[in-house]
Amino acid sequence: MRRSRVVGAVMAGLVTIGVAGVGVAAADSATPTPSTSAGGTGQVIFNVGTMQNPDSLNPFTGVAATSYEMWALMYDTLTQYSAKDFSVAPGLASAWQESPDHSTWTYTIRSGQKWSDGVPLTAHDVAYTFNRIINGQYEKTNYGSYVRTITKVTAPNDTTVIMTVKRPSPIMLHLGVPILPEHIWKNIDEAEVKKFANTPDVEGGAVGSGSFKLVEARDEQSYSLVANPDYWAGAPHIDGVTYVIFKNQEALGLALVSGAVDFADGIDTSEFRALDGKPGVTTRASDYYEFEYITMNGGAALADGTPIGDGHPALKDPRVRLAIDYATDKQTLVDRVFGGHGTTGTTVIPPLYPYHYEPTDIRPFDIAKANQILDDAGYQRGADGIRVMPAGGPDPGRPLEFRLYGRDTSTTSKKTVQFEASWLQQIGIKADVKIVSEDYLYDVAGQGKFDMYEWDWIPEPDPDSQLSVFTCAKRSYKDGGAIYANLSDSFYCNKNYDALYDQQSVQTDVTERTATVQQAQKMLYDDAPYIVTVYPNYLQAYRSDRFTDFTPQPSPGGAVLFQWGAYSYLSIRPVTAAETTSGGGSSPALFVGLAALAAAVVVGVVVMARRRAGGSDDVE
Amino acid sequence: MTTPSGVDAAGQSPQELPGANATGTLTDTKVGGGLGRYALRSCLTALGTLAFILVFNFFLFRMLPGDPSQLYRGRNADPQQLAELRRQFNAPLVSQFLHYLRNPLGLGSQSYLRSQPVWSVIAAHIWPTLILLGTATTVSAVVGVWIGIRSGWQRGSRFDKGATGMTLALWGVPEFWLGMMLLILFASGAPFLSIFPTGGFRDAGIAPFSVQGVLNVAWHLVLPATALAFVYIAEYSLIMRSSIVDETGQDYLTTGRAYGLMDRQVRRRHAVPNASLPTITLIFLNVGFIISGAVTVEYVFSWPGLGQLTVEAIHGPDIPLLEALFLLFTISVLIATTLADIVVAARDPRIRT
Repeated sequence: MRRSRVVGAVMAGLVTIGVAGVGVAAADSATPTPSTSAGGTGQVIFNVGTMQNPDSLNPFTGVAATSYEMWALMYDTLTQYSAKDFSVAPGLASAWQESPDHSTWTYTIRSGQKWSDGVPLTAHDVAYTFNRIINGQYEKTNYGSYVRTITKVTAPNDTTVIMTVKRPSPIMLHLGVPILPEHIWKNIDEAEVKKFANTPDVEGGAVGSGSFKLVEARDEQSYSLVANPDYWAGAPHIDGVTYVIFKNQEALGLALVSGAVDFADGIDTSEFRALDGKPGVTTRASDYYEFEYITMNGGAALADGTPIGDGHPALKDPRVRLAIDYATDKQTLVDRVFGGHGTTGTTVIPPLYPYHYEPTDIRPFDIAKANQILDDAGYQRGADGIRVMPAGGPDPGRPLEFRLYGRDTSTTSKKTVQFEASWLQQIGIKADVKIVSEDYLYDVAGQGKFDMYEWDWIPEPDPDSQLSVFTCAKRSYKDGGAIYANLSDSFYCNKNYDALYDQQSVQTDVTERTATVQQAQKMLYDDAPYIVTVYPNYLQAYRSDRFTDFTPQPSPGGAVLFQWGAYSYLSIRPVTAAETTSGGGSSPALFVGLAALAAAVVVGVVVMARRRAGGSDDVE
Repeated sequence: MTTPSGVDAAGQSPQELPGANATGTLTDTKVGGGLGRYALRSCLTALGTLAFILVFNFFLFRMLPGDPSQLYRGRNADPQQLAELRRQFNAPLVSQFLHYLRNPLGLGSQSYLRSQPVWSVIAAHIWPTLILLGTATTVSAVVGVWIGIRSGWQRGSRFDKGATGMTLALWGVPEFWLGMMLLILFASGAPFLSIFPTGGFRDAGIAPFSVQGVLNVAWHLVLPATALAFVYIAEYSLIMRSSIVDETGQDYLTTGRAYGLMDRQVRRRHAVPNASLPTITLIFLNVGFIISGAVTVEYVFSWPGLGQLTVEAIHGPDIPLLEALFLLFTISVLIATTLADIVVAARDPRIRT
């Protein structure tokens, strides 16, 4: 008698699962394949799968690439980087003018603009945003470098903004500050702004003027935006964009194939290969503005020149660094570490930026030449084949044995340092490879307690910040007795280079500035504080059977999403003709059938178990 | 050997074994008060442990390497701005500790990563974890215990051989592998089979508290809950089976049969209650761990739970968030073990010593 209760409980459990299954069928039919180019709802939503959750949607707080991507949709900036070649293009400001004496900049703000809550957007909002950053502390965290030279911002009328600068400043063409609504943000003081989430469910949250408006934000799940039909650059051709957060590459790939998402961003080489050739899917290895490098500790010091750390003295010798560069086979790294998706590296401004300098005397992979340089410089091989420091210099007789660190979060970093160690071996240098966490590496880098390591930079289109990494002033600094890292991780310090850096930072003429910036890059290439190993491609894949007319930046080889701007979101259109999206659409009828089948199996098992149990009762 | 087991079984259901009734009742009255004292003692021990945890929690995360101000690496931050942040992060340990003692639960403290109060960040992630692990535990406890009883009682039967073989195999399967297989099978867009989503908790644009919202969550729940439940089923059924097997040869069962009880009555009223103690302990322990999340399953199914949040917080490190998470995990394990102690003691008086 009572035994049947156990069976009853089990059956209840199974029935629950079954009911859930049928419920699922219902849910499934209620939301026909979530994404939808020509879905029954008539809404065209562009679903973007990404591996990165935005850390905050507050433009003063967030730092993740996904956060920046959403702000590009939610807000306007004064000017933009053009889709074609990163040159300056109009944004909220339709025109701008530097005064002949270089002391002020005048921006003409588009008239008739409105915030997403209906309040008019004027030049006063622009002035408010900049003044808030200039006068704020916390507000400078993300935008401090843009306002460094600005002393005053005023709005004499609704369509004019005038900014006064301390010195001529090319950054005034590229002020990447999202313009915020004064009527909302003036009520959020400096203490409040640190925790203001800026999501649609908080008061005053997510009010913007961009091409899309954020309507739903679910941490680590999804973020939905709807199109702004009144956008000044024209209404988007889609009704909305939804970002779906994935935690693993394989699931993201499956979601693209099944049609749950239309775009898979930032995938790795193996997933890229897996998606290649899948029906309806286009994979795209885009030119990108990232570079991989191996840095060498060229004499760690504080910004004031006080030596720190315990770097190997041989790396202070530029000849040793050049020899190591000759011994690094960049093409092999491209082919075997990056799966062929990238190009060999040269300078610290990537080739897709107009400021890039391509050396005329590129150093080829040449072990013999590297050995020759080291021989000539007096680094003789010891009995074990490892070279030693020459007599007469620092640490005579000390073997050339370098610590070489790779990062545990990056497979490409790990592989790169293994290759590098084998090449160093061939030129009589011993490398102690260690794979460490980025946290650890950041610590030892700042203290100068390393010889070589692998990392990457993602430079902005404006070269200032990337070039500053190699100035004397960006070496480590002391704060309350402890040493902290600044931007420099090679400790390169060269007065001539600093002079070039200073020169470009006040050149507002793009042609003149380009010449200076290229000269600075040439100097870095010749002195080799870094080995720039690879410019990796950015790997993206999308459903070309559903969406078309993506805008690459730069044209034609650049990335089609996660750009400097929101160009693709404004240009893409749903594919209308010959709709062939059948992949993910599961028929509810089929599902009910499967559920019924499962139920039948379950009932069968239970009945059998019952009969067997009954049988044994009798026997015993 | 015979007497204590007999007494014990009688303690559970005195009315069924009249012969042992007198002793059973005696024991019962004696332990009734004992249980209260035992429960109180368990709770006090738990409180002591909690005090230790609160102190330990502070030092544990200060031993992590890394400078939290590097969260700002690559930003356009002012050097003064960074120095200011660092002064907050790197205050002397003693003053940090005093500050911590004033608010050990981290109420109102901000997560570095999310710039939100830590407990509201946790609140946003706790439901997915509770739903996933709650479902998986319930299903696996019911099914696992049932399979365990059945196969233990009919040791060597075809059901036992099949079930044990299968559960052993499942026991050896890593959850993430099973999850991946389920994903490939049911979510890859393969014709006819692709009926579940590739991950996530709920589709965008669906109200959470509507019928559709609940069904949508259930739809997303099926694969991850299945992946987890399979592994737990294996665990519970194997433990339950071996405890039942231990009991089957006991004399008190023979005694029960001698009184004319049917086999299923013997099993249900005498064998199962005695055999269930290890499984109960195990289920409670797992309930304690529920909250810390099944990181690998959350990873495979992009499930926005606490496991993912913890992994994220360790990179950084986001110390306030880690402290709060660790506190939550340890407290939930503490509560669960204390409950397990009390429940097991209530079922088996021998334990209350």
